[in-house]
Amino acid sequence: MKTTLKALLATAVLAATTGPALAEDVKKIGLAVPNLQADFFNQIKLGVEGYAGSKGIEVIVVDAKNDTATQVSQVQDLMTQGIDAFIYIPAGAAAAAVPTRLARAEGIPVINVDRTPEGAPGDTFIAGESVESAYAVCDHIIRLKGGEGKMAIIHGQKGTTPEVDRFKGCKRAIDENPGVELVAQQWSQQWSPDEGFSIAQNMLQAHPEITLIFGQADGLAMGAAKAVEVAGISGEVIIGGYDGDVAALEYLSECKGPFWVTATQSTQRMGVLAVDSAIAVAAGKKVPERQIPDAVLTTCANSPKFVAKHP
Amino acid sequence: MSAMTDKGTQKRPLVEMFSLRGATGPLIGLLLLCLFLTFATDSFFSIRNFLNVLDQITVLGIMAVGMTFVILIGGIDLAVGSVMALSMMVLGYLNVEAGLPMSVAIPLALAAAAMNGVIAGVLVTQFNVPAFIATLAMMSIARGLANMITNGSQIIGFPPWFNLAAIIRYGGYLTMTVAVMLIVFLLALLYQRYRHSGRTLYAIGGNPEVARLAGINVKRTTVMVYMMCSLLAGLAGILLAARLDSVQPSSGVAYELDAIAAVVIGGTSLSGGTGGVGGTIIGVLIIGVLRNGLNLLGVSPFLQQVIIGTVIVLAVAAETLKHRSK
Repeated sequence: MKTTLKALLATAVLAATTGPALAEDVKKIGLAVPNLQADFFNQIKLGVEGYAGSKGIEVIVVDAKNDTATQVSQVQDLMTQGIDAFIYIPAGAAAAAVPTRLARAEGIPVINVDRTPEGAPGDTFIAGESVESAYAVCDHIIRLKGGEGKMAIIHGQKGTTPEVDRFKGCKRAIDENPGVELVAQQWSQQWSPDEGFSIAQNMLQAHPEITLIFGQADGLAMGAAKAVEVAGISGEVIIGGYDGDVAALEYLSECKGPFWVTATQSTQRMGVLAVDSAIAVAAGKKVPERQIPDAVLTTCANSPKFVAKHP
Repeated sequence: MSAMTDKGTQKRPLVEMFSLRGATGPLIGLLLLCLFLTFATDSFFSIRNFLNVLDQITVLGIMAVGMTFVILIGGIDLAVGSVMALSMMVLGYLNVEAGLPMSVAIPLALAAAAMNGVIAGVLVTQFNVPAFIATLAMMSIARGLANMITNGSQIIGFPPWFNLAAIIRYGGYLTMTVAVMLIVFLLALLYQRYRHSGRTLYAIGGNPEVARLAGINVKRTTVMVYMMCSLLAGLAGILLAARLDSVQPSSGVAYELDAIAAVVIGGTSLSGGTGGVGGTIIGVLIIGVLRNGLNLLGVSPFLQQVIIGTVIVLAVAAETLKHRSK
């Protein structure tokens, strides 16, 4: 039994190493995104399409609308179309492994962007260092309030890689400041502004003493900012976001709060890295297991620069 | 001689069973769609892609069968997506967290799903709550319960064979999940055609008062139909759990709308009394082939939504026009 297992493993490894090397030229790339309504994913899509287009590579995009079952079906369809490489951003947290297995069965490169499936890693994982950047954002807003205050966090979709990491980073900033107390936390399903608005409104209702809010995505932060404005306490509350969406960067450029700071992710660069990695893996070259296009702490001082040209 | 007539009489009902009862329009639409995709893409017309489509419609197909029965009696069930999520979470909790074997976890998950249907049915029949409202309430309750089981988190860690049942194509063709769907289709067709209670559904949908006076136990049948619809939604959830190798409480949002769309495209009238499972299967295939084909054509995700909406309108308009001209 053990030897057969070993033999199986050996062939699997062989298949994994020789498989991609066979398909040398990348002509068609499949890109599976969770939800194009979120500007962050749309930016990555534009980055991939723009760069691949300049290299004469066709890109087929499928949008799962945040539904894991839909994504599995879409990935099946991508495989049927004979794609040469698969750029994969898992929708939701749970079913992430299945599309990777499907692609592995075809022996094509799998490039993970932003999220990585537990237990079934791709050839490389391209994502910003969420923990450090979230720490920087939370540290910044806490310092704006003089190192103390009641804080609330609006989480993204529970259990996804960015949700877990961004909380980890922000929590560290909170723990370093004994004057800051985390009084409210709530999870959103879609990382969307309308969720951010209603969640923040309820939080402020339950805890009117809140002066610090961290939205784990710019959509959530923008929604929270609206809720704070409606409550007429824009002067007292400081909000931090994440991602550097175009709309958020434009908002920050106005320099009027209550949403003051975000971490701008290099989405264009992620797209370029993903395409380059796909080409490299297909050609049998080794790529780093983890690639980290840095996020940049963004306030109204440097946001106009990013509005003009997104990194 | 007598053997020959025997054979003849046996054959006729078999043909009738698959007769489409007014779903010929959708069938022609489906064939035209397939024909178009065959010429428009290289990859559509192949056994492999056809099997993929079957994989992809499993959940919708099973749900739509239950929905057909509900709509046939003039009702509606908005809770199926949520009930599916509840069934998945109960399954995940019992099997992974509590360590019970699948042989116990699956029946209990189905029972939890069926319970929702019973409650909805009782609300409709005993308390005269409109079906739309009763199932809208159950949609919210079931979704909340599904979330409460793990406080919103997903569950992974099913036994390996469970996912393999959705992946391995036995005999080169059928995954276990697709086989279950085909069995459900067959049983539903047989039930609707040959069982007395299957025939009574049409009577209830046509006019519940007349059906009651004709001696049909309308209330009990209605509760049974809602229970069956929820049970099938639960079954769909178990197959989806196998396909995804995981469960999460946000699964199946808005699936009830897909199921209703499939039933309507298949020629079943929303006011009840006409239509049937045969047409629904065509409707499910139209949605499945359309989604698959649009992906294969590389149509932009935004345009896909527009096209799918347009097809629903066209299918229903064609059916309405046909009825008017009669």
